[in-house]
Amino acid sequence: MAMRGLTVFIADIRNCRVRELEEKRINKEMANIRTKFKDGSLSGYDKKKYVCKLLYMYILGWDIDFGHMEAVNLISSTKYSEKQIGYLGITLLMHENSDLVRLVVNSIRKDLDDNNEIHNCLALHAIANIGGREMAESLASDVHRLLVSPNSKSFVKKKAALTMLRLFRKHPDVIPAPDWAERITNIIDDYDLGVCLSVTSLITALAQQYPEAFMLAIPKAIMRLHKVIVERDFSADYVYYKIPIPWLQVKLLRLLQYFPPTEDPNMSEMLHNVLQTIINNSQETPRNVQHNNAQNAILFEAINLAIHLDCESDIVRQATNILARFILSKETNVRYLGLETMAHLAAVTDELDEIKKHEETIILSLRDKDISVRRRGLDLLYSMCDVSNAKTIVSELIRYLHIADYALREEMVLKIAIMTEKYATEHSWYVDVILQLISSAGDHVGEEVWYRVVQIVTNHESLQEYSAKMVLHYMRSPHCHENMLKVGGYILGEYGHLIANLPGASPIEQFNTLHARFGLCSLATRALLLSTYIKFINLFPEIKGAILAVFNQYRHVLDAELQQRACEYMAIATMPTDDLLQTVCEEMPQFPERESALLSRLNERTGQTEDKRTWNIGGKDSNEKTPANLLAATKERNENGSVDDLVNSVSNTSISAAGGENGTVAPANGSTAPPTPAAPAAKVGLTWKDQLAPGHENWYNRLRDGTDGILYEDSILQIGIKSEYHGHLGRLAIYFGNKTHTQLNSFAVSVESPEGLIVANSHTLATSIGPSTQIQQLYSLECQQIVTEVPLIRISYQAGSTQSIYLKLPVLMSRFIEPIQLSSADFFGRWKQIGGAPREVQEIIKVQGKIELERARSILVNHRLGICENVDPKPGNFVATGVFNTSLSGKVGCLLRLEPNHETNMYRLTIRTTSDVVSKHLKEILHTALLYRPAPSTR
Amino acid sequence: MSPKEKTKIIKDVTQLVLSRRTKMCNFLEYKDTKVIYRRYASLFFITGIDPNDNELLTLEIIHRYVEVLDRYFGNVCELDLIFNFHRAYFILDELLIAGEMQESSKKTVLRVITQQDAMEEEEAKEEAKK
Repeated sequence: MAMRGLTVFIADIRNCRVRELEEKRINKEMANIRTKFKDGSLSGYDKKKYVCKLLYMYILGWDIDFGHMEAVNLISSTKYSEKQIGYLGITLLMHENSDLVRLVVNSIRKDLDDNNEIHNCLALHAIANIGGREMAESLASDVHRLLVSPNSKSFVKKKAALTMLRLFRKHPDVIPAPDWAERITNIIDDYDLGVCLSVTSLITALAQQYPEAFMLAIPKAIMRLHKVIVERDFSADYVYYKIPIPWLQVKLLRLLQYFPPTEDPNMSEMLHNVLQTIINNSQETPRNVQHNNAQNAILFEAINLAIHLDCESDIVRQATNILARFILSKETNVRYLGLETMAHLAAVTDELDEIKKHEETIILSLRDKDISVRRRGLDLLYSMCDVSNAKTIVSELIRYLHIADYALREEMVLKIAIMTEKYATEHSWYVDVILQLISSAGDHVGEEVWYRVVQIVTNHESLQEYSAKMVLHYMRSPHCHENMLKVGGYILGEYGHLIANLPGASPIEQFNTLHARFGLCSLATRALLLSTYIKFINLFPEIKGAILAVFNQYRHVLDAELQQRACEYMAIATMPTDDLLQTVCEEMPQFPERESALLSRLNERTGQTEDKRTWNIGGKDSNEKTPANLLAATKERNENGSVDDLVNSVSNTSISAAGGENGTVAPANGSTAPPTPAAPAAKVGLTWKDQLAPGHENWYNRLRDGTDGILYEDSILQIGIKSEYHGHLGRLAIYFGNKTHTQLNSFAVSVESPEGLIVANSHTLATSIGPSTQIQQLYSLECQQIVTEVPLIRISYQAGSTQSIYLKLPVLMSRFIEPIQLSSADFFGRWKQIGGAPREVQEIIKVQGKIELERARSILVNHRLGICENVDPKPGNFVATGVFNTSLSGKVGCLLRLEPNHETNMYRLTIRTTSDVVSKHLKEILHTALLYRPAPSTR
Repeated sequence: MSPKEKTKIIKDVTQLVLSRRTKMCNFLEYKDTKVIYRRYASLFFITGIDPNDNELLTLEIIHRYVEVLDRYFGNVCELDLIFNFHRAYFILDELLIAGEMQESSKKTVLRVITQQDAMEEEEAKEEAKK
């Protein structure tokens, strides 16, 4: 069974002590294999053996430029062992854009269609490992079929899910994810935990792109977590060191971070239980490393989710205590993750006090032995920085900068510059820090840092004199960095005159300080300094002579740029009048406000990754564009725009708190544009109303006038309702009966209610209905405003494919009327008070057949109107009254008269209410009811 | 990704990992990826993940892989992996697809692999008969 030839070959190679020998052996083997392959009459076994040898050489790093065809041939072998090696060969030797991919697509499709599942699996592995556009386009639908088909075995489904994930990551446009969303989401309920794990990975990727289409995953994920963590319902095979399937737990916890928090109170309670259980389970530290790792992995993910849901919740408070313990841990991994998770918390919360308690520990982590930990410490300090602690943190960081790893320094400089700018309360501090930064870590200070200083100094008059003074001071220190010279050159050229009267800062002293280093600078800096000098001539005519000498000298240098500047400046300076000089050297205008180049630089550094980040390092404002927030933004537009505009916050010296300041935001700044809401492209055109089940009207109409009865029935499902109402509140019970002898899986119900009507389910519905069983779902209703539409309900379940039924729920406006009785005097008093149109509506209704007074009476009673006897002088005429209740828009009194005319079979209906909308809608309801004739046969 | 880039990454990361001391944590950053590694005697298992992925669980994926290898080969050592490199790949395929955990149950993975072996053996026997 083992390939002897291969074993011998590997042993041979291992015996080669020097590389030359190995090369010799490899070349010999390659030549041998080449001849064998050319021969063409190889047995399957030999082909397999030689392909294996080639693969081994490939793994060792040798270039393999032949043998691909033999691997391709092996794929179509009838023998499993040959097929398997063939597939291994193509996955290792081919990359996604290889021309040979075309050759294997057909063989792969054949194996995907094969009845032998093991062949399906090999094909799926190959697609997942190679996965180019060609494969994606021609095979995605086959993969999808294997994933959702009820006939697929669990082990095929798992592979199909992840294969699809790989195709989606590479070529998202090829996968029509919204169309497939529902069937894929339903697989979360699969009893096989492995299938659930794989499909959750898939959904996590898809839902980031199409959050709306995968909303249904929220309750499913929560229920599955609850089942595993709280109910402890799982198969023993999946317990990993006492922890049930940690990978699934983490995946589900992460998936939920890509959605806004659920609004369903039952779901949030369930989720709360889940998180609390996880926190409780983590109170003890297991001895076993694996057990501990798995437990902590879940804990950290749970904390991330808790922070996402509500960063001020009790759970997060408990978590903060655990984290505080973790960052002191002896175990490096735990310290690392503790700092990382704390940075997440600091990045989104307003409440930094808890974290600030640990400031000392965190600053100490900058001195950890391990660079990985030091990095996390830096991120955390950056995230937790605000006005109150900026000075401490910045000065610690500057102190640490001298001993920091080279790899860290550039990032540190950027972060220090940003923090200083963001949280400065005194101008002088800002200038001090930045100049100190440039002087002590000059090499790591990117161009954008000194550009930014210049921008800020130019835009803030109060800073100009101070900066000129300081920059002059720094330039006199023995180790003046070239970047300092650049800042100095610019600032003195613009504002040198402001300090010219100070001792040691006379014009010639300023010039001498700059020019002392002129010869040592790069060409670009020298060019910049020449511009400073021409400005000096304008500011200080008394030193013109010294400067002209420099220009004169540089008129003859080799560098074209310098030479040109020197010549032009010379010409301007020696003109008969100073008009041109003055115009050219006028003070620089203020810079337009724009996004800080520093931040864009930092964001660039974070780069593109496959999964979107659920949070970003930095303050609260850097976290407003995370995926879940984008989605939430469609519901609640946060008026508090991002405070990226740093210039503003510096100019406003009285910043009281970080991040959340409303007042300092510049209006109509490009960077504060509201996040674009996630496009509802996920919905595939049709609304629920367009998809109502055929024939639903029959059942619905019968229920309009009653509270209990059948709402829908087909060969599989029977749906009935019972309801009761009181004032603006109501309770609705819906019964679902499974008429078949098999279980209905992936059962789900959702309700779309019109604005003003709240329909909440009071407990969670089962996800399946057993054979010949009935289950019940309770809803509570609350009428908040005048509602003229009825809620819609959507029922879906799995029976071969996913079936969806859309129905109207007979929750009419009239359900929220309370009947009252009025005396004749009261009635007519109010009747007159309300008066005519628009609050009065009248209609003549001609009925089919004879008028039945009893029926008319029962319609009025069923629509909850109180019939006032002996009010209308004419017997047979109805007078009815009621009060329509809402919880937010008050009560509406309803009066009506219904006058039948037996000769013509017509009614005259007159309604007066205190709201014209209610009058109109109540008329429509009664009109329809009076005309309605039940279909003759009702079962 | 070109073979040249691949070689460079392998070289860089190997150096980074080898230069770390035992007490240090199992995570480090390389460009935009996080590197998670675990050492078993003289063998290093190294993975690269997104900054967002769960570090500790990746560590446990490595451990699960090692456990399965250990059970399959019986006290696995470097030589087992060298001489049976194709089997190491087959086992990995049963554990991970597209970089995601496919099956975390040791029992299930081993069952699939033994099934494959049985088929192979069957075919070899038939071959011998001819």
